[in-house]
Amino acid sequence: MNALVPLVVLVPLLSAAGALVFGRRPRLQQLITVGALGAVLVLSAVMLGIVDNDGPLAMSVGGWTAPFGIALVVDRLSALLLMVSAIVLLGVLLFSVGQGLADGDEETPVSIYYPTYLVLSAGVFNAFIAGDLFNLYVGFEILLVASYVLITLGGTEQRIRAGITYIVVSLLSSLLFLASIAMIYGATGTVNLAQISLRMQEVPEDLRIVLHVMLLVAFGIKAAVFPLAFWLPDSYPTAPAPVTAVFAGLLTKVGVYAIIRTETLLFPLPELNTALMVVALFTLVVGILGAVAQVDIKRMLSFTLISHIGYMVLGVALGTAAGMSAAIFYIVHHIVVQTTLFLSAGLIERHGGSTSINRLGGLLKSAPVIAVLFFVPMLNLGGIPPFSGFIGKLALFDASAREGSALAYVFMGVGAAVSLLTLYALARVWNLAFWRRSEEVEDYDSTITALLRSAPEMGSPREQRRIPRLMTVATTSMVAVSVALTVLAGPLYAFADRAGQNITGPGTYIDSVLGPGTSAEADASVDSVNGSAP
Amino acid sequence: MLVILAVFAVASLVLYPLTRSIGRPAFAVAALIPAAAFVYTIAQAPTVLAGGSVREQYLWIAELGMQVSTRLDVLAWVMSLVVTGVGALVLLYCMRYFDADEEGLPRFASILLAFAGSMYGLVIADDVYLLFVFWEATTVFSYLLIGHYTGRRASRGAALQALLVTTFGGLAMLVGFVLLAVTAGTTQLSALVANPPEGAIVIVAIMLVLLGAVSKSALFPFHFWLPAAMAAPTPVSAYLHAAAMVKAGVYLIARLAPGYADIPGWREVLVLFGVITMLIGAGRALRQYDLKLLLAFGTVSQLGFLTVVVGAGSRDAALAGLALLIAHALYKSTLFLVVGIIDHRAGTRDLRKLSGLGRDAPALAVIAIVAAASMAGLPPLIGFVAKEAVFDSLLAMAGEGSTVGWVALAGVAVGSILTVAYTARLIWGAFSRKPGVESAPPLHRQRVDFLIAPAVLSAAGLVLGLLPNVVDSWVAGYADSFPPAREPYHLALWHGLTPALGLSVLVLVLGAGALLVSGWVNRSGWHVPEALGSNEMYWRILRGVDRGAARVTVTTQRGSLPFYLSVILIALLAFVGVPLVLNRTWPDTFTFMSHPVEGAVAILVIIAALAATTAQKRFQAVVLVGVSGYGMAALFALLGAPDLALTQVLVETVTLIAFVLVLRRLPARLGERHGSVHRLARAGIGVAVGLLMGTIALAALAARVDAPISDEMPRLAYEGGHGQNVVNVMLVDLRGWDTMGELSVVIAAATGVASLIFVSGRRDYLPRLSRRDAQERVRETLRRVADPNDATERGSWLLAGRTLAARNRSIMLEVVVRLVFHAIILLSIFLLLAGHNAPGGGFAGGLVAGLALVSRYLAGGRHELGAAAPLDAGKLLGAGLLFAAGTAAVPLLFGADALTSTWFELDLGWFGEIVFVTSTLFDSGVYLVVVGLTLDVLRSLGAEVDRHQEDAEQTEVRS
Repeated sequence: MNALVPLVVLVPLLSAAGALVFGRRPRLQQLITVGALGAVLVLSAVMLGIVDNDGPLAMSVGGWTAPFGIALVVDRLSALLLMVSAIVLLGVLLFSVGQGLADGDEETPVSIYYPTYLVLSAGVFNAFIAGDLFNLYVGFEILLVASYVLITLGGTEQRIRAGITYIVVSLLSSLLFLASIAMIYGATGTVNLAQISLRMQEVPEDLRIVLHVMLLVAFGIKAAVFPLAFWLPDSYPTAPAPVTAVFAGLLTKVGVYAIIRTETLLFPLPELNTALMVVALFTLVVGILGAVAQVDIKRMLSFTLISHIGYMVLGVALGTAAGMSAAIFYIVHHIVVQTTLFLSAGLIERHGGSTSINRLGGLLKSAPVIAVLFFVPMLNLGGIPPFSGFIGKLALFDASAREGSALAYVFMGVGAAVSLLTLYALARVWNLAFWRRSEEVEDYDSTITALLRSAPEMGSPREQRRIPRLMTVATTSMVAVSVALTVLAGPLYAFADRAGQNITGPGTYIDSVLGPGTSAEADASVDSVNGSAP
Repeated sequence: MLVILAVFAVASLVLYPLTRSIGRPAFAVAALIPAAAFVYTIAQAPTVLAGGSVREQYLWIAELGMQVSTRLDVLAWVMSLVVTGVGALVLLYCMRYFDADEEGLPRFASILLAFAGSMYGLVIADDVYLLFVFWEATTVFSYLLIGHYTGRRASRGAALQALLVTTFGGLAMLVGFVLLAVTAGTTQLSALVANPPEGAIVIVAIMLVLLGAVSKSALFPFHFWLPAAMAAPTPVSAYLHAAAMVKAGVYLIARLAPGYADIPGWREVLVLFGVITMLIGAGRALRQYDLKLLLAFGTVSQLGFLTVVVGAGSRDAALAGLALLIAHALYKSTLFLVVGIIDHRAGTRDLRKLSGLGRDAPALAVIAIVAAASMAGLPPLIGFVAKEAVFDSLLAMAGEGSTVGWVALAGVAVGSILTVAYTARLIWGAFSRKPGVESAPPLHRQRVDFLIAPAVLSAAGLVLGLLPNVVDSWVAGYADSFPPAREPYHLALWHGLTPALGLSVLVLVLGAGALLVSGWVNRSGWHVPEALGSNEMYWRILRGVDRGAARVTVTTQRGSLPFYLSVILIALLAFVGVPLVLNRTWPDTFTFMSHPVEGAVAILVIIAALAATTAQKRFQAVVLVGVSGYGMAALFALLGAPDLALTQVLVETVTLIAFVLVLRRLPARLGERHGSVHRLARAGIGVAVGLLMGTIALAALAARVDAPISDEMPRLAYEGGHGQNVVNVMLVDLRGWDTMGELSVVIAAATGVASLIFVSGRRDYLPRLSRRDAQERVRETLRRVADPNDATERGSWLLAGRTLAARNRSIMLEVVVRLVFHAIILLSIFLLLAGHNAPGGGFAGGLVAGLALVSRYLAGGRHELGAAAPLDAGKLLGAGLLFAAGTAAVPLLFGADALTSTWFELDLGWFGEIVFVTSTLFDSGVYLVVVGLTLDVLRSLGAEVDRHQEDAEQTEVRS
C-alpha cells in the first residue's frame, strides 16, 4: 500500500507533462487536469482509510532506507489534508474552467494555466507527504514558483506590482527556510524529519531554541502570522478569483502544516508555546482590525484569512492533544470556507463588475443564487452555529479552558471578539452589497462606511455578464462541501481528534519511518521529557 | 421532538417554492407545522405535568461532548406551547397581513418558519451547545427578518444592530458555557442545573451566560436594539420581539435559576438590571406616539419585569415568573397584531392621527382592550393573576429583610404603575375619538379572518385568567424545583384581602394618576436623559472600532515592499537574536579558511555584492551579481565539487543571457529609489542579518551531535547507485525525488516567463502574426534557401540568417556558430551520459545544449531559432517531465519503491560493454526539461521581445 504514497505527487506531475505535450488542445488538457485531481482525491481517500486503520504509511523513495533516501510519510494528519486539498483544488479548477481562465494560451510557446495549476497541486501534495526537511523545502518551492506564475496571470500592471511583493517576500522566506535547513543539518547531520527529531533531543537547549525560532520565522511568513503577514493582503486579492481562492484556502495552510510538524515532531518540547500563543493573539487581533477597515471584499477576506490563522496557531501553541485536534479541525474548516468565500467573491465580481462595497448594491434582487452562495459561507466563517466555523471555535475554546493558563483564558475573550468582528465585517458586506438597492449606491453616506479604507479599484468595472453555469456549479459544490463539514462533524472531528493524538509526541511518526521501537529506544537512552502517544 | 425539528427544517426549505407558486395561502400551510408541534406538546402533558420528562438524545461530536439531546420538562413544555402556539397564529395572520404582491414574500415565509423551528429547538435543547446553536440561529433569522424591507436603510441598520448586539452576548455566553461544561465535565443542561459545579470560574461563567441572556432579552444596557428592530414587519415584531425570541434570555435565566440563583451576584445583577430596564422602558413608552414603538418600549419594560421575577430565584417567584411569562406572551402578541391591523386599516400608527377607531372597529377594540387589561393587571385576566403572585412573592422576599427583595418590590411596583399608565395611553390613543382629528376611512376592506389570531390569543388570556388553578398545575412543577421556603403559593383570582391585593389596587389607582402626570410631563418637554439611551453608546463603540481598525491598518499596511521586508527581517533579528545572545554552545576551534584563494574569492564576492547594491545601471547590477555567482562556482571548485562548479558556471551564464535579453527593453538606469525605509537603516538591517546568519552557522556546526548522513553517501552511491559520481547519483537516484520536484519548478518558471511575455495574446487585440503563419513563413524561407535554383540565398552560413537586417548581421559569428553548433550538441549528450561516473549530468548537459541554441539565436535571430529547434518548447518540457516522473512511477508497477533504479550490462560487440543505469533515463528527463526551458526563454525573452520591439518601431515610423 506504500506505493500509493508517491502517486499523489506523480499523478499530477505526469498529468502536467501531459498537459504540456497536448498544449494546443485545451479540452484534452481540461480532461487530464480534472482527471488527475480526481485521481488524487480517490487516492487520498483510500489512504485516509488505510492510515486510520493500520497506522501511518511510510516509504523511502528509490528503495534507499531512511535516513539516506527521501522518506515520504502519510499519517492521519497528512491524509486528511491531502484529501481536503484535493477537493478544494478540484472545486477551484472547475470554477476556473468555467471562467475560461486558460483562454488565450494558444499563442504562447508553452501552455500555461493547466500545467502550472497541476504543478502547484503537486507541490502542495508533496509538502504534505514529505518526511524529509529538504524535500519539504522542495515541496514549498514547487508550489511557490507555480504560484508566482498564477498570481501574475494576465500581467496587468497591478498584478505585476502585487506579484513582485509576493515573490520577493516568498523568496525571503524560502531563503530563511533553506538557511534553517543548513543550520539544522549542521547541528544534527541529517535532514530526515524523524531522525532530526531524535537527534534534536541531544542538541543543547539554548541552540535548539535558536534553530526552532529560525524555522518558525520561515514558516511564519508562509503561514502569514503577525508580524510576518503584511505582504498577504497586498498580493493575494489582485490575482484572478480562482487563483486567490486556492492561495487563500491552501497555501497559508501548508505553512500552518509545517508549523505543526515543527512543533510536534522536530521540536516537541513546549519551550516556545507561550511565545507562539502571544503571536497567535496578535495575529487574530491585527488581522481582524484590517478586515474591518476594508472596503473591498477580496481584500477584506484576505485579512480575515490572516486573522483566522491565529486560531490555528493558537490551537497548536496550546501544546495539548485537544488543542492539536481543534487546530486540525479548524484548518480543514478554514481551507474549505475561505476558498468558497473567494469563489463567491469571484461570482460577485463577475456579476457586479466590482468587489468594492462602495460600488455594489442590489445583489440580493439581481442575483439571489450568489446571495445564498455568499451568505452560507459568510455565516460559517463568522462562526455562527451549526456551521463548522462554530465547531472549530468551540473546540479551540474547549481546549483552552482545559489547558487553563491565563493566556488561554485571554484567548477565549479575544477569540470571541474576533469572531464578532468577523461577523461585523461580513454582515456589513451583506447589508451594503446585497440588501442595499442599486439605486442607493451613488453618494451613499453612512457611519459604517465612513472610515473604510478605499483600496485602489481592481480593474475597470465591467458590464454585468451572464455567469457561466460551471462557475456557479463549482461554487455551489464548495458550499455543499462546507456544509458537509457540519453534517459530518461527528466522524470528522473524531478523525481530527485521532490525528491530534497521533502527533502528540513524535513517537508514532518516528517509529513509522525508522522502524518500530526506535523512539522508545531513544527515549530510554536520552532522558526525554515528552511522552509518546500510542 | 427531533423529528419535528427536521420537519421544520425541510418545510422551511419547501415553503420557498411553495410561496412562490401559490402566494399567501402558503402561510396557512406553514402554520400547520407549529400547530402540529403544539398538538404534540399538548399530548405530552400527562408525562410532563406528572413531573416526568420526555428525552431524545443522539451523539454529535463525542470528543467535545456535544450531543443532540432534547428534553421536555415543565419549563420546556410551557415555552414550547407559547412558541408553537403563537407561531402558528402569527403565520396564519401573515396570510392576511401581506399584500399579494409583497416583495420577497417567499423568502420571508421560509425564514419565519425556520425561525419558529429554531425557537422550538432552543426551548427543548438539553445540551448547552445545542442550545447555543438554536440561540444563534434565532439571532440570524431575526437579522434577516428585521432587514426584510431591504430597501429601507433603517431596516438594514436595525438588523445589523440586533445581530451585533445579540451575537456579542451570544459569544460571551458561549465562553461561559465552555467554562461551565469543562468545569462540570458535562454539557448536559439538566445535569448542569441538577449538580452545579462550584468555584470562582463558575461565577465568571454564569455571569458570561447572563450577559448573553441580558443582551438577547434586550435588557439595559442593551435595550436599544429592540425598539429599532420594530423596522421589521409587524408579525415579526409580534412573534420574535414580543412572544418568542426576546423571551429566550428570560427562559435561560429561568432554566439556570434552580441551580445557580444562590451564587454571589446572580440576584443582585438580575434584579438591578431588570428594575432599571423596567423603569426606562415604561418611562419611554409613555412618550411614544407611534403605537408600535409604544409597545416596543413596553416590551422592553416587561422583559425587565420578567427578569426581576424569574431571577429572584425563590419557589414562589418562579411560579409567578412563569405565569407572567405566559400572560405576557399572550397579551403582548395580541396587541402587536392589533396594531398591525390598525396600521393596515388606517395607514398610520401615530396615535395623534387616529380617531374613532373604537366605534368603527368594535371587535378589534374589544380584543385589544381585553389584552390591555391583562397587561395592566386587571382581574379576571391572567395578567392580574400573575401580578398578584409576583407581588406576593416579592413581599415575602422583602419581608425576610433582603435588600434585593426591597429593590425588586419597589422597582416592580413603580414599573407596574407606569405600565398601567402606558396601557391606558395605548388604548386611548388607538381607539378613542379625539377632538379635531378626522376619523379616516379604512384603506383596506378588513376580512374577518384577519382577526382570528389576535382574538384567539386575547381570549386565551381571559380563559386562563378564569382558570388560574389550571395554570398553576402547569407551572408548579417548575416552581417546585426550588427549595420550598414557606407554605407554597398557588395561583388564584382571590386570595382574600392580602397585602398583594392592596398593592394591586394601589398600582391601578396611581397608574391612572401617572397617565395624567405623564401628559403634563410630555407637554413640559422633559425627557429621560439620552445617556440612558445606549443607542448612542452603540454607535460610539462601532465608530471607535472602525477608527481603531483604520488606524492599525494604516500603520501596518503601508503597501511598501521595503517596509514589509524590513519588518520581517527585524522580526527575525529580534526573535532569533535574543536566544542567540543567550546561546552558550560555541565552537572550540575556528578555521578561518582552508586555502588562501578562498579568501581572495570571498573578498571578490563581497565587493561585487556590495557594488551591486549601489549600482546605478541595470546592466552593471546584473553583471556584478553574476560575479558573485561565478565566485561561488570558484568556491565549489576549491572545495572539491567540480559538478557543482560546472553547473553553477553554466547557470550564471544562462542567467546573464536571459537578463541581457530582458534588459534590451528596459531603461538603462535603475529608477529613482523611493523606499519607505531609510538607506542607512536598510544597510544596518542587511549587515545585522548577515552577521546573525554567520553566527548561527558557527553555533550550529559547533553543536553537531552525530555523524552526518552524507558520510555514507559515496559508499551508497557506488554500491547501490552504481555510479562513481556521488553528486550525480544523489541528484538522479538517492535524492531523485527532490530533483523531480525541482524539474517541475523549472517548468513552472518556464510557463511563468511565457505567461508574462505573451501577455498580449490574452488581452490586447493588435493584429499579429499567428503562430501558424510564423511557422509557415519560416518554412517558406527554408524552402527558398534549400532551392538550388535560388541564387539569392546561396552562400548563407546560417539558414535563416538572411532574415536579419543587414546591420544586425555578423558573418563572423554566423560562421563560428555554424561550425561549433553540432559539436556542442554532441558535447551536451556526452555530458549527459558520462554524468553518472564523471562530472556532468543531465542538468549540465541540458544547459550546454541550451547554450548552443542561444548561440544560434544570437547569430541568426528568431527565425534562425525556429530553424534550429523546430520543436515546441512545451512538448520538450512535457517530455522531460514524462521521462523523469515516469522513471519514478514505473518501478511501482514492479512492486518496487518509486524511483528504484536498476542497471543492465550490454555487450555491444566491437564497441565494448556498456553499463546502462536506469537513472540515466531520469537524467535524460532533466536534460530535456533544461533544453525546453532554454528554448522557452529564448522564444519569450528573445523572439517575442524582438517582435515587440519591431512592432514598437513600426508604430513609431507610422505615427
